Amino acid sequence: MSAGACFHCALPIDRANEFQVEIDGELKSVCCPGCKAVAELIRDTGMSSYYAMREAPPPGAGRPADDAAEWAIYDRDDMLAAFAEADDGRVEATIYAGGMYCAACSWLIETTLSKVTGISAADVNPVTHRVRVRWNPDDVGLGGILAALADLGYDPQPLAPESAAQPEIAEQRAALKRLLVASLGMMQVMMFAVGLYAGDFQGMEENMRRFLRIVSFVVTTPVVFYAARPFFAGAWRGIVSRMPGMDLPVSIAIAAAYLGSTYATVTGGPATWFDSVVMFIFFLTLGRFLEMRARHRSIDRSTALSTVLPNTVTRIEGGGQQTVPAKQMLIGDLLLVRPGESIPADGVLVDGVTTVDEALLTGEAKPRSKAVGDRVVAGSINLDGMMQMRVEQTGSDTTLGTISRMSERARYARPAFVQLADRIASYIVIAILLIAVIVGGVWYIAAPDRAFVITLSVLVVTCPCALALATPAAFAAAGARLSELHLLVTNGNAIEALARATRVLFDKTGTLTVGAPAIVSTEVFDDSLDETQCSYLAAALETVSTHPIANAFVVADNNHVATEQRVVVGDGVAGTIDGRRWRLGRFDFVVNESTESSRDQDSTSVYLGTSERIVARFDLEDAIRPNATETLQQLTNLGLTLALVSGDNAKPVRRVAASLGIADYHSGCTPENKLQVIRAAQQSGDVVIMVGDGINDAPVLAGADTSIAPAHGALLAQTSADVVLLGDSLQPVATAVLLARQTMKIVKQNLAWAIVYNATALPLAASGYVPPWAAAIGMSASSLIVVLNALRLTRFGAP
Amino acid sequence: MNILYVLIPLALILLGVAVWAFFWAVGSGQFDDLDTPAVRVIMDDDEKPPENSET
Repeated sequence: MSAGACFHCALPIDRANEFQVEIDGELKSVCCPGCKAVAELIRDTGMSSYYAMREAPPPGAGRPADDAAEWAIYDRDDMLAAFAEADDGRVEATIYAGGMYCAACSWLIETTLSKVTGISAADVNPVTHRVRVRWNPDDVGLGGILAALADLGYDPQPLAPESAAQPEIAEQRAALKRLLVASLGMMQVMMFAVGLYAGDFQGMEENMRRFLRIVSFVVTTPVVFYAARPFFAGAWRGIVSRMPGMDLPVSIAIAAAYLGSTYATVTGGPATWFDSVVMFIFFLTLGRFLEMRARHRSIDRSTALSTVLPNTVTRIEGGGQQTVPAKQMLIGDLLLVRPGESIPADGVLVDGVTTVDEALLTGEAKPRSKAVGDRVVAGSINLDGMMQMRVEQTGSDTTLGTISRMSERARYARPAFVQLADRIASYIVIAILLIAVIVGGVWYIAAPDRAFVITLSVLVVTCPCALALATPAAFAAAGARLSELHLLVTNGNAIEALARATRVLFDKTGTLTVGAPAIVSTEVFDDSLDETQCSYLAAALETVSTHPIANAFVVADNNHVATEQRVVVGDGVAGTIDGRRWRLGRFDFVVNESTESSRDQDSTSVYLGTSERIVARFDLEDAIRPNATETLQQLTNLGLTLALVSGDNAKPVRRVAASLGIADYHSGCTPENKLQVIRAAQQSGDVVIMVGDGINDAPVLAGADTSIAPAHGALLAQTSADVVLLGDSLQPVATAVLLARQTMKIVKQNLAWAIVYNATALPLAASGYVPPWAAAIGMSASSLIVVLNALRLTRFGAP
Repeated sequence: MNILYVLIPLALILLGVAVWAFFWAVGSGQFDDLDTPAVRVIMDDDEKPPENSET
């Protein structure tokens, strides 16, 4: 049924529902009127090169929201005061633009906004997804700017000044400065080191040698004290908290080499190794920098919570309605929540009947019916009825806030996972430096005239570069390959944990399943109609509904147009097609449109009929994600134990577990229960991978040894996970485990090689059989072999 | 070779100036976006944007 992917948003197109747009003289197919409008806007403003320059879009990116939000409200003065800062006759605001994913997006936004009259500056940061706009309030309002962004297909969210602070930017600036100091320092010191090595072969004036050493010292000092400061700070934190990580041995190695070299410079000792110090610091800093970039790219901690909640709320006061900024909401306020809006606070329903989607908070796939007196929670979505609620808790007191705090705590309580490989490397670096000092001392006593050259050979031949590079090079290569395979690694520990994992825990809704109902079977009771026609009729009726069930009926053609549509909350929709009155919904509702049916029925069957009789039945289920079965089979073949932990009810959980062949499953889990399941597994010696996408998974994701969150889920889950899974397939989970195991194998090969090489070369050099030039060649070759071996990972899984 | 005693300190001073200039550039936000500038030069408005577009 699919006619390829949408030219604009890359979602699959239904042939029956295809739209076309002409770009650069060619007809392109798009999936919906919204994408058509955006593509035409981009073309007509002369910016079609956006399409040529952008990276391949993730499906759904840039697709405009179906229900255009009301932007004019943001033109009001109190909204402006809440989101913008006035400065010298102009105002400035920071806007979060959801759906931005590559550099071409930021160009498109900047160019479009700069053409809007009144906007004097628009800075876009594609990493933090933020647009900083400065404009003249007399020419254009905040609402107009938001509407311009929405027209381009982005999902704009103005940010309050206090949440507009960008800690990522500050972190990136500091990291860039450190990286520059380390890299410039490395280049300079390596240059002087070449001079010093050349001097060893050709002879060099003692004054010049001394001078070059002093210069090396001068350049190395800021590298050690500025660029390497995070390692020392991390080591100190490790000592204070009695959980030393890899920063401690790294710091000892840096400090020992630096102090030793400084001593040798002052006293005229046999050799300095400032070059090793700066190189070690440079590669570590580079690794941390790349890791930070991946982390920033995938998550935005500060907006993770705020994007779940609405920016404005409708308050009911003295019979009237008033839209106010969400932060003016007080406990006890009476709020109106329209269908499709998210609920801004925890509270009690006081008027109206509706169904609410709490899947991200509880993991329950089926929307819940709510009547007067029922509790509603912040962050859930009001699906189909107007409702009024009384606010009881706001902000961090809500269920959402509690889960968020719990995941922070779980992260700190996560079992200390010290990377074995880095530890080994750092200890060996220290050992080599000690051996060099001993060898130098022994030869100085035995044969003072040869002591210098031999100690030099020992130092050069055992240069710790290969060891220092063994792990970071392999991890960097693995990280690069993983991102090509649609996995963003945001925590360097993830790879070793993935390789050692023995158990995988899956969340159900949205992770193993699609998280939205889909038609699994259709039964037609009328001979004059077939399945396709019935689904066309149903789709035409559902066009007015905001209920997620409506999305299951996506196949629409233009022949069936429903009129006089009526939505009965919790029951179904009715409408007239070609002169006949049709109904779609619960059995009772279809049989008699006016019947107030009892709520809380099993709503997985939807009936289509006229007032006389039932014509068809659609069975809906939260479908299992494509590839899930194969992926789980692969994971089992890799020797991993699988388990399912879900907040959903026993019945759907049992069904999914049975159809996927998972023997160990837990249903009805709160976030605390899920954490307990993980802790129990960890205490019995398992290394656990958690895969989950909901807000309720966040604490478990943070508490597992390593965790994977799909990018389509809640932002809070992604901020708590070590790896973010792009795309729709679960398949990369199995690939990640395989690649992680391969990475550890390569790290071990690298370490083994470096140790064997050093163990062979060291005695030869120590006994004086290796001239410095051979030592220099040996050192370079061993580093090169380690790097080339690591680079094999970048081709992992490629044909 | 004695010229090195002059040239190397001179190089270090230039290095210091370069580091200072980079720190200033980072501080003024010029490196906050590391992705867009790489493609910006090849992105341009279409040569002839339609004058009276209907949409």
